[in-house]
Amino acid sequence: MNNSELVQTLASILLASAPLMIAVCGEIITERSGIVNLSLDGTMLMAAMTAFVVGLKADNIWVGLLAAMAVGALFAFIVAFGSIRLRQSMFAIGFVLTLLGDDLSAFLGQNYTRIPGPVVKHFAIPVLKDIPILGPIFFDQDAVVYFAFLLVGLTWLLLFRTQPGLRLRSAGERPEAAFARGVDVNRVRYLYAVLGGALVGIAGAAYSLDIKIGWSDGHTRGLGWIALAIVIFGGWSPVRGAVGAILFGATKALATFLQRTFPEVSVVAFNSLPWLLMIGVLLLVSSEVSERLIAIAPRAAQRPLRRMLRVSPPRALGATFVEERTS
Amino acid sequence: MWVFFAKHPRLGIIFTALLPFLATLAALAIGAVMLILLGADPVEAYSALVEGAFGSQNALADTLVKATPLLLVALGICIAFRGGVINIGGEGQLVVGAVSATLVGLSFPDAPGWLLIPLALASGFLAGAVWGGIPGALKAYFNVNEILSTIMMNQIAVQGMNFLLRGLMIDPVQLEAASRIPQTARLAEAFDLPRLVPTRLHLGTGLAIIAAVLVFIFLWRTTVGYRIRAVGLNPKASRYAGIHVPRHIVLALLLSGAFAGLAGAVQVYGVHHRMFTDGSATGFTGSAGFNGIVVALFGQLHPLGAIPASFLFGALLVGANKLQRAMQVPSAFIIALNGLVVVFVVASDIWRRRWARQRVSETPEEVQSPKEAKVGV
Repeated sequence: MNNSELVQTLASILLASAPLMIAVCGEIITERSGIVNLSLDGTMLMAAMTAFVVGLKADNIWVGLLAAMAVGALFAFIVAFGSIRLRQSMFAIGFVLTLLGDDLSAFLGQNYTRIPGPVVKHFAIPVLKDIPILGPIFFDQDAVVYFAFLLVGLTWLLLFRTQPGLRLRSAGERPEAAFARGVDVNRVRYLYAVLGGALVGIAGAAYSLDIKIGWSDGHTRGLGWIALAIVIFGGWSPVRGAVGAILFGATKALATFLQRTFPEVSVVAFNSLPWLLMIGVLLLVSSEVSERLIAIAPRAAQRPLRRMLRVSPPRALGATFVEERTS
Repeated sequence: MWVFFAKHPRLGIIFTALLPFLATLAALAIGAVMLILLGADPVEAYSALVEGAFGSQNALADTLVKATPLLLVALGICIAFRGGVINIGGEGQLVVGAVSATLVGLSFPDAPGWLLIPLALASGFLAGAVWGGIPGALKAYFNVNEILSTIMMNQIAVQGMNFLLRGLMIDPVQLEAASRIPQTARLAEAFDLPRLVPTRLHLGTGLAIIAAVLVFIFLWRTTVGYRIRAVGLNPKASRYAGIHVPRHIVLALLLSGAFAGLAGAVQVYGVHHRMFTDGSATGFTGSAGFNGIVVALFGQLHPLGAIPASFLFGALLVGANKLQRAMQVPSAFIIALNGLVVVFVVASDIWRRRWARQRVSETPEEVQSPKEAKVGV
């Protein structure tokens, strides 16, 4: 593999992981507020279908994108409403929505499969794209990539450097304490569940309008689950989540590359690689395994290592918050 | 409305029991609107559906055959959910069960049927148990979220199935032919599950119903079953009561996978008599691994409740096929109709429980059902 080929591969990895980064950011925002939106896979399918069909009908990418955001927000709202107002298991609702999104997108999009439609234009950033090596990788890309990186930064800022972000995290960590401090916990949860859902909608639209142009049955199937796993791998932090998304994209690229290089080895091994790796990663971050690994390391390195490896979910994640009645 | 039922509790109980059926009717009503939009006569369409599901001896048998894997998967789901773990890996477990049962049948083509069939079903059961047990162990001992790990295991199972069916297990005839359809040879006819000729109804349906009773006895009449339910309701209290919590979490997911694996084996020996793939899991399973979850929820997570629930779902699947053929509506309509039924049934369950809560609203502490038990993501 020569130099320009390597650069091209890296650029394509970034492009392929950009929608995942967007979806991961959306889900992180949602989960940090305490709501688990398990419907990601169905939401992305529905959003991808909607973006393509609406974009085609209106002959305008932006209209399609808006429609996809609305769909994503609606799915997230159903999850939030079901858990907050109806006090049902958000996992059950999310799972049913996953199935529904899969079925409904197949039904509504059946007349639009495999036809050309609107496409996001390639957009190189002038000047910056001429930087050697880095330029072609980062700045000679589609708008989706720039948006994804921007979003990661913005999400981080929102979560950790603003007051609304503090309220958002408090709703997910200690809803009772937040409530006592005057935060309307459930309103916060509605708000950020819907915002996160809209971002997931953008991620779905990014597939049908840019990465994997067009619509076919089960267009993005499986990617929503990957995004959910990356959220955990990322320890509910947008920066780590972005790294996880890129790593996943890289594994897939590696799998294709290895397959071309070693055609005699079974396709299965390489196709299963990303999934096996996900399990391995989940194992690594969510258990005593990491603690044992850390114990081996030299003492000075233990604290930063622990910060890097250990993650813990928001304390009240997945738990319904009920306001105390003042009676 | 709730006030009315609060005054007439007996009517309320009847209403509650009928709720899933009312929800199905509501979904069908929306389906009727869709049919009109598609330019078909809903009355005619739905009579085709009922006719297709119950109209004749053959139709009824087909419904039961369709219900069988749903029931078996749902039984596993009941065990998992009662144990406080969520198993979304039914598809993968079904696939590995089917593959391993097929392997047994292909390896001993000359064995007598009475010996091989039980062996094959057992191997499917065991393969499913392994496939469910792995996420179980990861959950119990390493705190790996089981929703995600079972999903991953699905994908790995599908990859493995495609590999075996395109390579080692492929039908020698297909190997010669240019098409190379990824499927195995037909299993020896001696291995077919006994059928109620002339219909397609096979012994697997009876096995599934017996299994439902056994799962009920297991969960509510044995110590181990009690412990699984206790762990599902409150793992902390269970631990203080001396129950080995991780072990029972593994057991719940392991058994859950085992029943899905058995469903796969039954599908091979009772229906298809071979294994095939279209590249995804759905080609072989018909999404039974997912639909089983819905059936279990429909049956209120009770093994005996899953029996009528699976029957209703089987009827819907079979009848909808007939409807599609008779009315020439797009097949995606059937998919959407099924999705609608699922959503409405789950939604009705929500209303039922809400009402149940209102009845006991004097007691402030809510009893958490295992489904709602907090899941550490």
